[in-house]
Amino acid sequence: MDFLRPATWAEALAAKAADPTAVPIQGGTDVMVEINFDVRRPPALLDLTAIGELGDWELTADGLLRVGAGVPYARIITELGDRLPGLAQASRTVGSPQIRNRGTVGGNLGAASPAGDAHPPLLACDAVIEAESAARGTRMIPATGFYLGVKRNALEPDELIRAVHLRPATGPQYFSKVGTRNAMVIAVCSFALALHPGERRLGAAVGSAAPTPLRARAAEEFAAREFDWSGATALDPALLARFGELAAEAASPIDDVRGTAAYRRHAIAVLARRTLTWAWNDYRGKAAA
Amino acid sequence: MTAPVTAGRRYAGAALDRVEGLDKVTGRAAYAADHRPADLVHAVAVPATIARGEVVQVDVDAMLKRPGVVAAIWHGNAPRLATSDEELAVLQSRRVAYRGQYVAVVVAETPEDAREAARTLRIEYVAEEHDVILRADHPRAYRPENVNAGHPSDTGQGDPDAALAAAPVVVDEEYGTPAEHNNPMEPHATIADWHGDGLIVHEPSQNVSGLRATLASLFGMPPGHVHVVSPHVGGGFGSKAKTLPHTILAALTAKQVGRPVKLALTRRQLFVATGYRTPTVQRVRLGAEPDGRLIAITHDAVMQSSTLSEFTEQTAVPSRVMYAAPHRRTTHRVVRLDVPTPSWMRAPGECPGMFALESAMDELAIACGVDPVELRVRNEPAAGPESGLPFSSRNLVACLREGARRFGWAGRDPRPGVRRRGRTLIGTGVAASTFPALRAPSSATVRAEPGGRYTVRIAAADIGTGARTVLTQIAADALGTAPAAVTVELGDSALPPAPVAGGSMGTASWGTAVVRACEELAARLEAAGGTVPDGGLEVTADTGREVRAQERYSRHAFGAQFAEVGVDADTGETRVLRLLGVFAAGRVLNPKTARSQFIGGMTMGLSMALLEESIMDGRFGDFLNCDLAQYHIAAHADVRDVQAYWLEEEDPHLNPMGSKGIGEIGIVGTAAAIANAVHHATGVRIRELPIRLDKLVR
Ligand SMILES: Cc1cc2nc3c(=O)[nH]c(=O)nc-3n(C[C@H](O)[C@H](O)[C@H](O)COP(=O)(O)OP(=O)(O)OC[C@H]3O[C@@H](n4cnc5c(N)ncnc54)[C@H](O)[C@@H]3O)c2cc1C
Repeated sequence: MDFLRPATWAEALAAKAADPTAVPIQGGTDVMVEINFDVRRPPALLDLTAIGELGDWELTADGLLRVGAGVPYARIITELGDRLPGLAQASRTVGSPQIRNRGTVGGNLGAASPAGDAHPPLLACDAVIEAESAARGTRMIPATGFYLGVKRNALEPDELIRAVHLRPATGPQYFSKVGTRNAMVIAVCSFALALHPGERRLGAAVGSAAPTPLRARAAEEFAAREFDWSGATALDPALLARFGELAAEAASPIDDVRGTAAYRRHAIAVLARRTLTWAWNDYRGKAAA
Repeated sequence: MTAPVTAGRRYAGAALDRVEGLDKVTGRAAYAADHRPADLVHAVAVPATIARGEVVQVDVDAMLKRPGVVAAIWHGNAPRLATSDEELAVLQSRRVAYRGQYVAVVVAETPEDAREAARTLRIEYVAEEHDVILRADHPRAYRPENVNAGHPSDTGQGDPDAALAAAPVVVDEEYGTPAEHNNPMEPHATIADWHGDGLIVHEPSQNVSGLRATLASLFGMPPGHVHVVSPHVGGGFGSKAKTLPHTILAALTAKQVGRPVKLALTRRQLFVATGYRTPTVQRVRLGAEPDGRLIAITHDAVMQSSTLSEFTEQTAVPSRVMYAAPHRRTTHRVVRLDVPTPSWMRAPGECPGMFALESAMDELAIACGVDPVELRVRNEPAAGPESGLPFSSRNLVACLREGARRFGWAGRDPRPGVRRRGRTLIGTGVAASTFPALRAPSSATVRAEPGGRYTVRIAAADIGTGARTVLTQIAADALGTAPAAVTVELGDSALPPAPVAGGSMGTASWGTAVVRACEELAARLEAAGGTVPDGGLEVTADTGREVRAQERYSRHAFGAQFAEVGVDADTGETRVLRLLGVFAAGRVLNPKTARSQFIGGMTMGLSMALLEESIMDGRFGDFLNCDLAQYHIAAHADVRDVQAYWLEEEDPHLNPMGSKGIGEIGIVGTAAAIANAVHHATGVRIRELPIRLDKLVR
């Protein structure tokens, strides 16, 4: 197995173009597990950890946060927790301190597991993934078009993820996850919510309850249509319940060792109602102040 | 019967730090896999990929052409072993008894080459239909002669069926516990090295004397030709107590290739051939008066074993000890399936059995409207309920009372599902625990040097429990010296033979031998006028006669476990907010290491209650979730508040230390206390472990 260690982003893209079967490795918290379990034996590993800019984030000219693919969860929590609260909450639930120090959103996207915790907040916040190849340059892929199947994403064989673009929160954001234990746990199911009050709508996304993470479109449309976006009133329990139902209907879960499909549907409705209640209370508090 | 040596006791009972603690935390302590004899080659065991059938051919020739490969061994070219025990007859037959059974081994110069060779070795099988799922009504369930630890399979008194039919209050329920895996921190590993006609084995072992005897007989040589070295063991929980196939494989391979061999198991391999706790299906019936006094107890348990050997867990045995009732019956049935042989895992029998019995007692308390602590007190027997033997000491009631006081049990509202903190339902539960206080014959040597130093030598095992430390304390007291003057050597089969670190009887067995040797040494020293001769003075004691002649008593430790849980009313997520155990286990010889055993056992019980479950894949015939990402064990964040207390218990009928074993009792009853608390919180009774989210919310 070759171990490629490009020093610059351009070299990395060139290496990936030269050998599209080379497997990128950032934190290694997915790649090394797969290698240890003999899930795959790549002919080459492409180590991205020497490329400084992948570990940086910046505010772009159009007011978006451009978060490098190599920024670990621990730094998202401490450095971006105020502007990306949904993603930071999800980051807090990932693995253990060691995993949060090594693991990255770029790696979560690369792995594209339906249970990846970063995905629901990325979807709910309309994140856009910046991919790049030596041959065709930069390509901006909306998160909604990124997840294609179980552990399959929209990257071309010669592309790498450079960064994720997200608008700093314009309203309350929440993430909630059900797991069998208190730490080091793969989500049985998860849910993320981001309110976009300026646009009188919200983003809602479901994790670990379908072959890919996905947006709960019907729930989003229902919220845009039915909620009182002036922020003056509490949510009618009937609206809350309907929102939960629509969120659960978005899922197509399976029975597995972590939980039954029926349980997952039930729990998604609970998480949807719960995150919406928290977010709406914050929103009303702000609107009233 | 000799009275405990209380006079001169100074160090037993003190919170001495682990004598090898510094070596362990600085990495100086060498574990088996750390050894690298010169000329070492690496072996990887090749598991069967069918669950039942025969190996037709193994493509050894193709393998030997690969660079770095030293040997490939299977039944067709393996040396023959002298055994009729199918469990130990590694590579002695073409038959495959379970998926994952070792059917070949490959040896290479590097671990990587060996792994690759194992992965690509071509094996041709004839597969047969397999049967791997345990059911209570399995047509091949049968009554074994005896169950583990030599208990009779079935016992009975009176007419329990008639008594149950006539009883004013009856609880009749089925309970289930899943297969579980021991998962010690240190994975099993063997370094096998032949010198002439002798074999040296580095192996983490709970039983070096036993391993030596088994290997010697398998390879047809005197025990003295086998040397098992095991100074440090990174946990075992029973999984390092028996002679396991990988050890035999390593020894056989080293013999065949004529070089030292290292065979280190991966975590995933630990889920196949190092033993596990059998799943159980249990029916418990309790018949009682309206005030909760028991009229009848029956406990019927069904377990699995492999087709290779009959291991029947003693699941219903605690029901022979716990409560008084005139009419009673216990039965054990076993089904031989195409699965690996189950084995010992912390408190075999008591642990799953007490989950059923103590859950049923909680159900009876509710049915009678009697407080669950009070119910247990009301059914306290005057002597062994089945054996009729007097208890050497029994302080279950005191544990329940003291636990209730410390936990704040008084005034508990018994109604289920009525306490809420926000969206969390709160509940509390209690269960009793018990474990036998056994002792086995042991020998030990103590040697005095002229300078005032002493060396104790005994083939005991310290599997992380603190045995080395406690034996140091025991010896210091018996010699009337300070622990710093005593060195304890253990974990080596060249030392005087000693029994297994298992059955919670290590300290009692080894400690007796150490005390007797020290007493004898002290007497000889005194006779010699108090001075140690220039060449030193050495004494060996053997407790065979003393242990065999001990008076007949029912000897058990007891305890009471209290749990408080919070259950998310909507998602069913269950968190154990508080665990509190009070134990009566004779004299506690080192409060520091003892506390670790109690809270360790309780933590493992919490893990059993909420998480642990090895799921058998019916189609392929192996355990599905065979790694720590999928087989969940409680993490730090799950263990919030665990407290262990003990009562001062004087028991003159045990051993010179007055101690009962404490390694296993901590796990007994914990899962029932938690399940009972979950019922109190939610009104949902979970009779099948673990308490999964989707069992609470449907
Ligand atoms: C003990 C443990 C606990 C865990 N707990 C959680 C959890 O709670 N929640 C969760 O979501 N995940 C969890 N994970 C999985 C893992 O930590 C996350 O998916 C993490 O985000 C992966 O990031 P990484 O940087 O380590 O990725 P790597 O392992 O380096 O890479 C992951 C994948 O992404 C690809 N990749 C990496 N960087 C790029 C790039 N720039 N461009 C293109 N492809 C790229 C790799 O080729 C690979 O396919 C856990 C893992 C472990 C070992």
